[in-house]
Amino acid sequence: MNVPPEHMLVLAAVLFGLGVLGFLLRRNVIVVLASVELLLNAANLSFLAGARMHSGPDGFNLLGPVFAVFVILVAAAEAAVGLAIVIALYRLKQTVHLDQVAELKG
Amino acid sequence: MAEFLFYALSIAAVLFGIGVISAKQPLMCVLSLLGSFVCLGVIYLLAQFQFMAAAQILVYAGAIMVLFLFVVMLLDLGNVEELKENSMRILGKKRITVAVVVAGGLALTSLLGTRDSMASAGPEPVVVRPDAYDPVAEIATLLFTRYLLAFEAAGLLLVASMVAVMVLAKRQREPLSDQR
Repeated sequence: MNVPPEHMLVLAAVLFGLGVLGFLLRRNVIVVLASVELLLNAANLSFLAGARMHSGPDGFNLLGPVFAVFVILVAAAEAAVGLAIVIALYRLKQTVHLDQVAELKG
Repeated sequence: MAEFLFYALSIAAVLFGIGVISAKQPLMCVLSLLGSFVCLGVIYLLAQFQFMAAAQILVYAGAIMVLFLFVVMLLDLGNVEELKENSMRILGKKRITVAVVVAGGLALTSLLGTRDSMASAGPEPVVVRPDAYDPVAEIATLLFTRYLLAFEAAGLLLVASMVAVMVLAKRQREPLSDQR
């Protein structure tokens, strides 16, 4: 594939923007968590684009994939804990609407 | 051909991303997210990150998606979700404008920042010859040598999150309360 890595970066930036938008605008906690996953995916894509940018005909750069592995790992942990919190929240308040969960608001 | 596929998949991934943030039902949101993950996985494959493509499909499209679907199905959100969530009208123009500006600004900064910082050399690159290229073995070697501490910390993080999930999702036992 001869696509320049910059185009992968553009795709990552667009996905990142969409993730931020969903995170800020939506109030359903499931959608918010899905937006966070989108953000992490965009970060992954940038890491891999960077790895491509630094691999030439004489070799592949491996730092990008290694960091992407860590991002995937953190994403898995985050999704598990986040969704467990959603279940606990639903059991407590029967809602997944973030505006109805504002006890900590000062 | 591969280029065409890349651009088609990029557009599909972005469309699925729009689906994620604009879906009315959580289920559609999660399924759009799945589509986006799969598109990105194929893009990784096209860019010759075979291991990352496999991890993307297994971990994201497999495990994380199952978690999301499990929660959406478990909570029966269909009935709850009628309420006035529907973003655009309730939220008001001001909030939407602010969100769009913040998202656009962050995306632009990340794009420019990564492009500029990646143009420089960065930390001593680990490069392997294409003829001896065995991505899984090389990545594993790197994980168990240079990034061993981070790897162990990641394992600790996973264990901690597993325990946290069990504690959080456990039904609280209240002897005198009614059975829910």
